[in-house]
Amino acid sequence: MMFQNPEIAIDDLPNMVDLDWQSLDPHFVRRLQVEHGLTALASLAGATAFSVLVPVPPFVTIPLWVLVVSFAIATFAWPGISVPRQGYAVREKDIVFKKGVVWRSVTAIPYNRIQHVETSNTILDRKFGVASLKLFTAGGSGGDLKVRGISANNAERLRVFVLNKIGASIENH
Amino acid sequence: MKIIEPGDWQRTSPLAILFFFSQLIRAIVKNGWQGLAPLAALLLAYKGDLAEKVAIAGFGFAVVTSLIALLNYWFFRFQLTEDSIRIRQGILKRQQLDIKFDRVQGINTTQNIVFRVLGLVVIQFDTAGSSSDEGNLPAVPESFAESLRKRVGRRRGQATETPEGTSKLDPLLRLNWRDMIYIGLADRRVYVVLALLAPFIEKLGETRVDILENYVRDVAEGTMALGVGISALATIAVIVGIIGIFTLISIGAAFLRYHNFELCLEGNTLRSTGGLLTRHEHSMELGKIQTLRLTQSLIQRSLNFYQLLARQARSSQKNSSSKNFVIPRVGVDQAEHLRELLLAPEGSGLTQDPASDRFNSISPFYMRTRILLNAVPSVGLSTLLFTTTGNAYALLFLLWIPISMPFVYLGWRHAGFHFDNQGFVRRSGVIGFRSVALLYRKVQRVTVTQSRYQRKKELSTLRVYMASGSVKIPYIPLSLANQLRDYTLYKVETSKLAWH
Repeated sequence: MMFQNPEIAIDDLPNMVDLDWQSLDPHFVRRLQVEHGLTALASLAGATAFSVLVPVPPFVTIPLWVLVVSFAIATFAWPGISVPRQGYAVREKDIVFKKGVVWRSVTAIPYNRIQHVETSNTILDRKFGVASLKLFTAGGSGGDLKVRGISANNAERLRVFVLNKIGASIENH
Repeated sequence: MKIIEPGDWQRTSPLAILFFFSQLIRAIVKNGWQGLAPLAALLLAYKGDLAEKVAIAGFGFAVVTSLIALLNYWFFRFQLTEDSIRIRQGILKRQQLDIKFDRVQGINTTQNIVFRVLGLVVIQFDTAGSSSDEGNLPAVPESFAESLRKRVGRRRGQATETPEGTSKLDPLLRLNWRDMIYIGLADRRVYVVLALLAPFIEKLGETRVDILENYVRDVAEGTMALGVGISALATIAVIVGIIGIFTLISIGAAFLRYHNFELCLEGNTLRSTGGLLTRHEHSMELGKIQTLRLTQSLIQRSLNFYQLLARQARSSQKNSSSKNFVIPRVGVDQAEHLRELLLAPEGSGLTQDPASDRFNSISPFYMRTRILLNAVPSVGLSTLLFTTTGNAYALLFLLWIPISMPFVYLGWRHAGFHFDNQGFVRRSGVIGFRSVALLYRKVQRVTVTQSRYQRKKELSTLRVYMASGSVKIPYIPLSLANQLRDYTLYKVETSKLAWH
């Protein structure tokens, strides 16, 4: 299962072992916690209302409470675990993203395949100074890649940088 | 025949009215069939001279639809410019389409019986990107479609190599009436219909049995055993009958769609023609092909043939499927030959023959994950049902685990991949086969994923995203996945050729 007589020695190819990984904005953890905290509060309120209004026996309400509370804790704690494991690395000819705690993945997009770039931010994003970067490649919705939680400055810089790279790759054709 | 020159706005042949009429009827049927039931109820409830009213309504409907078709024709104009074709259409809502030649992926034509006699075609432009600007050009001469093809080819800098006026090239593939029967027999929709009808068949079997049973009893004191036998026979007869009817229908459909199917390669354009009443002509530039997919269902396997699909870039519009070029029946040698031509010159080192020993298998640890994926829901479901209802039958869900195991094993056995310096082929399937071939340089992006378990075993899943969808090779060594990814990126980033 090896390449036979490849055009370039496989060992000479740039690998992804020692990449200069850029991490996401640390404020993004707090920003997600606020969002998840609000969701958790809503579900706590829902559970309270349910157990007060509907006369249900304790063998239903207790598991329900355990479920809601553990869900709230988990969603609150999760960003602290997942965000530090995400990151991106800008290379000469492509941009690489990594993510995942249980399933870890590394995605590489060559600049000469990107069709356009978009940055966006929600109200909550703006409060914490972060933004999302979305890269579009061909192939319908499956072709888009969205990275959330890059600091607003970096997202804008990346957008301009990638745009220039796209322009350069078109001129080379 | 009038030659169509660039510049002026023109109408198509008045026979386009036929096209608009059928389009209108199709739209009414598609959107209005739900209204049929209330309409029928209304007619049934109506007291009075029904026949006369229905005749008047029918006549009125015919007049109105004809008038709309006529107006559609009247307001339909098109203009040819140097690099595009403009279409103005619409009665109340006027619309102008500007179809740029360099965005046209293919020019497809259809030809119904009337148009065929008169040498007219309906042109459909297959454009990259959003499907909203796809247009039809009804009832134009065949020669115009031909000149348009040449023009589009020139715009894209891919002049067709066939000199004008020469006889047609020898087709790469021709399908005859026997092939139609094979295609019809292998149509899986028959079995879907059968599955949907299954509950009714049971009912039907029972009613038939009652009649038969009474009859038998009348003739000679029928025993219970005889009754059961007849019941089973009757059910089998009904099932066989339904399969027979639907098989005939699907053979008929194969004739309608693919009769006299011919596949030609003209320069860089692959072209297929076929169809009994309406002739379809489909063309695709070789450079547009993203993946080649050779598939074989269980029935196709027993009849020893394959289907080959050349997949184009999916348009960015949501819900639009990727555009496929279908070759409905090929043998494995033909498929190999076609791949060499369609992915020329880079794809000639690959093979899509599922039986080839060049395929590497994936790690057997793949099966463990699959078995777990099957076991967890069935254990969960049976536990839940057993604890809540106490019914021991709930434990029958556990049977799913041993039942699924042979399929998991087959899925692993059939999974495989092989690669060379230009591309790779991924083989998959449980009872059938599918092998997908692609070139590295057409890849859009690459992902290498590892689950916790895969990390322990130093395995990973490689997924490459093509413009036509993604292709995944699961459970291969991490080092190999990384090599394939790095090499793919190298090919994409150094290739000077367009991916589409």
